[in-house]
Amino acid sequence: MSLSITDHMMGEEFTYSGAMIVMRDAAQKRLFESSDSGSVTELLLKDEIVFYAGPIITEKRVIIGPTTSARMDKYLGELYERGVIATVGKGPRAAPAVEVCRRYRRPYLVAPSGVAAFLSTKIERIELIAYPDLGPEAVYRIFVRDFPLLVAVDKFGNNIFERWEKR
Amino acid sequence: MIKTTVVERVLRKELIKANTVINDEVFDYLKRYNGPFCSALKENVVVSKQNLIPLCQDTGMLEFFVFLGHKVVLEEPVETILTRAVKETYVANCFRTSVVDDPIFQRKNTLDNTPAVVHVFHTQGNQMTVKFLVKGGGSENLTRLFMLSPTATVQEISDLVVEVVSAEGRKACPPLNVGIGLGGTADKALLLSRLALTKSFNERNSRHCYAHLEVELLRRINELHLGYQGLGCGLSAYSVHIEFFPTHIATLPVAISFDCYLSRRGVVEFVDNGSYDG
Ligand code: SF4
Repeated sequence: MSLSITDHMMGEEFTYSGAMIVMRDAAQKRLFESSDSGSVTELLLKDEIVFYAGPIITEKRVIIGPTTSARMDKYLGELYERGVIATVGKGPRAAPAVEVCRRYRRPYLVAPSGVAAFLSTKIERIELIAYPDLGPEAVYRIFVRDFPLLVAVDKFGNNIFERWEKR
Repeated sequence: MIKTTVVERVLRKELIKANTVINDEVFDYLKRYNGPFCSALKENVVVSKQNLIPLCQDTGMLEFFVFLGHKVVLEEPVETILTRAVKETYVANCFRTSVVDDPIFQRKNTLDNTPAVVHVFHTQGNQMTVKFLVKGGGSENLTRLFMLSPTATVQEISDLVVEVVSAEGRKACPPLNVGIGLGGTADKALLLSRLALTKSFNERNSRHCYAHLEVELLRRINELHLGYQGLGCGLSAYSVHIEFFPTHIATLPVAISFDCYLSRRGVVEFVDNGSYDG
């Protein structure tokens, strides 16, 4: 996978085609806090993009959208430590998480939220990877085409949300 | 008697509509938005309506407010009927089931999006009005309750609301709909803040001083420039509604609830015509 996704600057909108690992609260809690995290401890997060989301999978389509990233701020360092190259979610992150982005030189991207029907047209395929018992909170790999993204925090720690807070 | 089958049928239709067809008031504002992700937001409305796919993947926990006339006869407790309508709608339409059975230990998904939260208010007459909110987790987590000193000023209350929106509002997919409950007891204030969210954007409190405060708060919140998606362009909030209730001499409860940019809600009226054969 190309690493160029990390090079976009704060505020830039672009589209992405490729794979992402879908993982949210419950899976990260199990992965990072429980002793029996099972096969996912072996899961290769290196060079992956982690998308905070909980999909609905129907026969015809995958319905998915970003969830609030700030809830998972406490696991951000762990993700980047394991080689994740970017995280995708919605909303601002707390200052320490922005600092983690800067330290690891990894961006935090936002996807449009509350537009699951539209995003469902950008999903090509989904695979279950781990924790099936968590239902929508299980770990998946999705393949997307022309998926809209915007750089909220770039690898230098510039933060689009802070731009407005300072006014 | 109002038949269970009638309530269920109407509610199923309304729940699908609330999740898949954008509310007209929201759409009016959306049409005029030109900032980041505007085409995704606008196309979403079309794709969801055409295919009956939910507008948002978070199809919420259901909150019902039932105004039950004293002459209304039902075949079952209203909570049972509403729960069944939610279950059937969510399972049949593959809406995401977002409810877990206990909050801290297992957190096991109930897999049918029930239970719903049901509040019943007893009223005069032979009508039953059911209002509902499809409440996503993102906006729900912003809810706040403050027990202020009874001597707190209107200015202090206003500052408090603006502070909460400024600190947290970007997390709940703005533009927001803001509901404020003032007075009563702590639980009453929270409930009032929920009822405030069921109103249409242009409705104002019938008491002039409260209506004025609603308008003033909306103006201040929009000066925060949260914008669509929290990205700084466009509105911060559609509306602020205040509901109040008498309170104890020593208390001043202030509850603030939020709904996100979709403001998914509904109102349905049923009439009991007095006959028992439906
Ligand atoms: S806040 Fe509303 S639009 Fe945003 S993800 Fe939650 S339910 Fe969807």
